[in-house]
Amino acid sequence: MNGRAITSDLLLGMIPIVLLVALWQALVSFGYAPVTLLPPPGQVFSRMAQQLLSTTFQQEIAATLFRLFAGFSIATVLGVTIGLAAAVNPAVNAVVRPIVRVLAPLPKVALYPALLLLVGFGHQSKILLVTFDALFPILLATYYGASTVEQKLIWSAMAAGTPPREILFKVVLPAAAPSILTGCRIGLVISCIVVFLAEMITSTDGLGHALVTAARTFQAVDMFVPLITISLVGLILNGLLELVRSYLLRGFPEA
Amino acid sequence: MIEINQVSQVFQTSARQDHLALSDISLTIQDGAFVSILGPSGCGKSTLLYIVGGFVRPTRGAAKMKGRAITGPGPDRGPVFQEFALFPWKSVLGNVMYGPRQQGIKHAEAEAQSRALIEMVGLKGFEDFYPKELSGGMKQRVALARTLAYHPEVLLMDEPFGALDAHTRTRLQNDLLNIWERDRKTVLFVTHSVEEAVFLSDKVVMMTRSPGRIREIIEIDLPRPRRRTELLLDPRYQKYIVEIERMFDDSGEGE
Amino acid sequence: MIRRIAPLLACLGLLVAWQLASLALKNDSFPTALEAIRAIPAVLGDKDSLVNFGASLRRMAIGFAAAVVISIPLGLLMGRSRAVASFFNPLLMVIYPVPKAALMPIIMLWLGVGDLSKTLVIFLGVSLPVIYHSFEGAKAVEEKMLWSGAAMGLSAVQRLVRIVLPAALPEILTGCRTGLVLALITMITSEMIARQSGAGNILFNALDMGQYDTVFAMIIIVGAMGIVLDALFERLRARLVRWSEPQFDIPLSFS
Repeated sequence: MNGRAITSDLLLGMIPIVLLVALWQALVSFGYAPVTLLPPPGQVFSRMAQQLLSTTFQQEIAATLFRLFAGFSIATVLGVTIGLAAAVNPAVNAVVRPIVRVLAPLPKVALYPALLLLVGFGHQSKILLVTFDALFPILLATYYGASTVEQKLIWSAMAAGTPPREILFKVVLPAAAPSILTGCRIGLVISCIVVFLAEMITSTDGLGHALVTAARTFQAVDMFVPLITISLVGLILNGLLELVRSYLLRGFPEA
Repeated sequence: MIEINQVSQVFQTSARQDHLALSDISLTIQDGAFVSILGPSGCGKSTLLYIVGGFVRPTRGAAKMKGRAITGPGPDRGPVFQEFALFPWKSVLGNVMYGPRQQGIKHAEAEAQSRALIEMVGLKGFEDFYPKELSGGMKQRVALARTLAYHPEVLLMDEPFGALDAHTRTRLQNDLLNIWERDRKTVLFVTHSVEEAVFLSDKVVMMTRSPGRIREIIEIDLPRPRRRTELLLDPRYQKYIVEIERMFDDSGEGE
Repeated sequence: MIRRIAPLLACLGLLVAWQLASLALKNDSFPTALEAIRAIPAVLGDKDSLVNFGASLRRMAIGFAAAVVISIPLGLLMGRSRAVASFFNPLLMVIYPVPKAALMPIIMLWLGVGDLSKTLVIFLGVSLPVIYHSFEGAKAVEEKMLWSGAAMGLSAVQRLVRIVLPAALPEILTGCRTGLVLALITMITSEMIARQSGAGNILFNALDMGQYDTVFAMIIIVGAMGIVLDALFERLRARLVRWSEPQFDIPLSFS
């Protein structure tokens, strides 16, 4: 693909976003929507800029990010470990497979009240919910990646003198990396979504809480700001993960 | 010396059916011999190679290397696969260095040896490339260098040029013979091409299909070093090819 | 046989683990599994909550159906036309990390607390994965298959319906499966946030009133709904795409 094609693709992609903002502005300008319900985009973005500079709002973002990272990190460690173990060990597989089969389609958010009762209303319950939700895509992607590793890669390493216990880290893990990172990408977006929702349902801080507070007092402008912020957070984190991914997978085709 | 003693291999293809891939194979391969195993697809010739490699355990019988039973893969027997099986996360140099490093050779020394090998297979200047950036022929050169790097006593080549176009294939055949002439390692070479088997080998083991049995062992008495252009005009070379083709025709085996 | 009952065994195992954990913790707010199961008939016997449940499920079905009907054609078009793809992709990327259930307060502000708001949120929640999987499925369709179709005289629309749709069906159904679980999750979450009616509301009312066995009974009911819906859809999927390669049989679900 050449540079000009990319530019024209980008321009084309901007159209619906620009149209959406224009429609939004038009709805307000021509009086179809009262400003109290739909504040004009200019007002929302200037409020957003103002909020991003305020310490209180930065603290909300920090609280959200902390829970997001804590939950996502635990999910990644657990997911990769269990996924690898299930892929290489038949006994682990026999236990993990049916449990995952049952737990994966379970709406994890329903567990949230139980988590509140068990570990309280603080950070832990939200972090645990994020972990539960992000765990399965990462676990499944790891399992899938590790169980489809080309047999001859393993044979090549064994013939070169790699002892069986080292095969897991020297061959299976790196060979499954593309799949694992895809799982992490899904898990990261899920973490963004879940942490926000958990904060909306019950919290005293964080972006989700900011939205609920604004909703209670019918501050339409302040309702948009946290939503746009979480979308930006998601985009930025996704971009960062993409950088890590393209570095780690520089040798793989189509990375 | 490799001894294969009354080896049989049964694969379970489904719950009801067993497939006898190899039936009662006995074969002795002298040190320094270039032996090809020739047969139609599905005759179990690769399986025989995997048994010598220690990747697959025979259902009955045993294979021995230097009088000791083969129980698993080891750096004395180096495989080269049709699928290359290069580590995609390592550069050309990293792939070739893997074996020496695994043998406990110091980094600097392993690197020097590997660079020399890469030059020998004609890939000087490509040390820092990743496998995905190379053509099929170049990948197979890297795979050969990676295997030679840990100094196996036997090369196990599993249709190594099967995935390459005709032109690349003949070039690699020539280069393989040139490399082989230097130290005359034992080579066990699986192929379904009659010309390839005759051109390269001292001995061609012809196999039949379902179940895989040895049909005939043909000594190829042609002078070495062999030049392709000379051999093509040599009536003895042509006679070997016609003889083998006829045998396949008679039994209706062919391809 | 073991394979078929393994998920049931896993359910049983999880319940036993729960029972043991609650017996060990002796926490008032953590009833045993048996106590929670005993509370289920009381919850389901309540006329109001049954009506509530029915209404939730109806909205879920409508939201899911509408999302599928709109998302599949859109995804297929995006997969077959680069212009359409680059038109919509950035917009979808911006929307992706926004928690759809979090839009509930804003949508309620505009459209009131009625069925329309709740159905719309479910619609939004289901759309993205279905679009994404249809897109990926359509993109992967073999170009030559379409050439053959064109050679047989199929028009562009006919090719989309008669070649792209069936070829992408396995992937589309994977998207629908994720979407189905997402519909349930979005429904529960938005009910938890709006606190008007439905399963999510019953859960948190019980939590507020300290009826802990009702809380856990609800968790079992909601969890069972997720698992049953997923299992039913999986059976349907397996019938519809019997011709396709056996797929990875565990779904990815997220909020």
